[in-house]
Amino acid sequence: MITCPSCMRAQAPALVCAGCGAPLGANLDLFAAMNLPRRLTIDAAAMERAYHDLSRRIHPDRFAAAPAAVRDASMRATALLTRAYRSLRDPISRGRYWLELHGRKLGENNQQVPAELAAMVFETQERLEELRDSRTPENLAAARTRQTEAARVLADAKAELARNFAAWDGAGEDADEERRKARFTNLKAILSKIAYLTTLERDIFRELETARAA
Amino acid sequence: MAYSDKVIDHYNNPRNVGSFDKSDADVGTGIVGAPECGDVMKLQLRINPDSRVIEDARFKTFGCGSAIASSSYVTELVKGKHIDEAMTIKNTVIVSELNLPPVKIHCSVLAEDAIKAAIGDWKKHHEDGEPAAAEQRKAQEG
Repeated sequence: MITCPSCMRAQAPALVCAGCGAPLGANLDLFAAMNLPRRLTIDAAAMERAYHDLSRRIHPDRFAAAPAAVRDASMRATALLTRAYRSLRDPISRGRYWLELHGRKLGENNQQVPAELAAMVFETQERLEELRDSRTPENLAAARTRQTEAARVLADAKAELARNFAAWDGAGEDADEERRKARFTNLKAILSKIAYLTTLERDIFRELETARAA
Repeated sequence: MAYSDKVIDHYNNPRNVGSFDKSDADVGTGIVGAPECGDVMKLQLRINPDSRVIEDARFKTFGCGSAIASSSYVTELVKGKHIDEAMTIKNTVIVSELNLPPVKIHCSVLAEDAIKAAIGDWKKHHEDGEPAAAEQRKAQEG
């Protein structure tokens, strides 16, 4: 239970007070902060509206003349809401947050990537190296082909992510521990893949930009 | 963050850079990657099919200094070792040799994975899966 610093009403933790609508400054998970159910598939337009509505209601400017406890609550609620919006808006960071929320944060030491993905990244880096060494039209074309390929694989991975989200949401309160574990493993693998491909895309882009500028 | 002298040495004078012919039956190729930093490492081992000793090694790594140094060091480390011994090499050996800081430990993990991947690839050409199966086949042939 938490007490509203504005109207002193005791209530369950939330972003705003159920009685007077003032910010509570409670510690919440990011789904609760945005008043969203814990689901991975999110209606982007509804989320956008909720964010703007909530941020107006708790904005520090509105509480500039209020007592310190209320101003403080407004500041904390705003920071939380901003973090929630930024983390949940994008599916990739939403997936990462899902792991964090369940105590399975994506580590940097233990993520093995599938052999064929590592091979693809390696070959692409070799093409980029050739382009760095010699900016021939052939090398440029080879790098562009790799760029298309990387974009395709990344798009596939993002579609896989959407399927994983649907599996979570469809499972509801599925108590089957094995299936839950499998969904976590799958989510981690997809997010690692996306992280790897995103870095690769950036490397390709940079190299092509450098080649263009030369 | 400052690199240790040994990392700098391997980075400036990498040992055994290059590649072997991937289709050579005596060559095992391991390509491994670290998704969070974007590094990718290729390690190739030339393994004697009779003695199962690693006779030579080549690497090529796209990544940070620590990743390059880890793979360069590993090529020196595995040479002359029996594959069973090489399979037991732990990343901690690489960490202590190169004085890798905690944030670069994943580079040594990557190098350890590369050894296992390369030997695993070689075994695929030389055995039908389980080592026991190959031993059995050998016994039958013998």
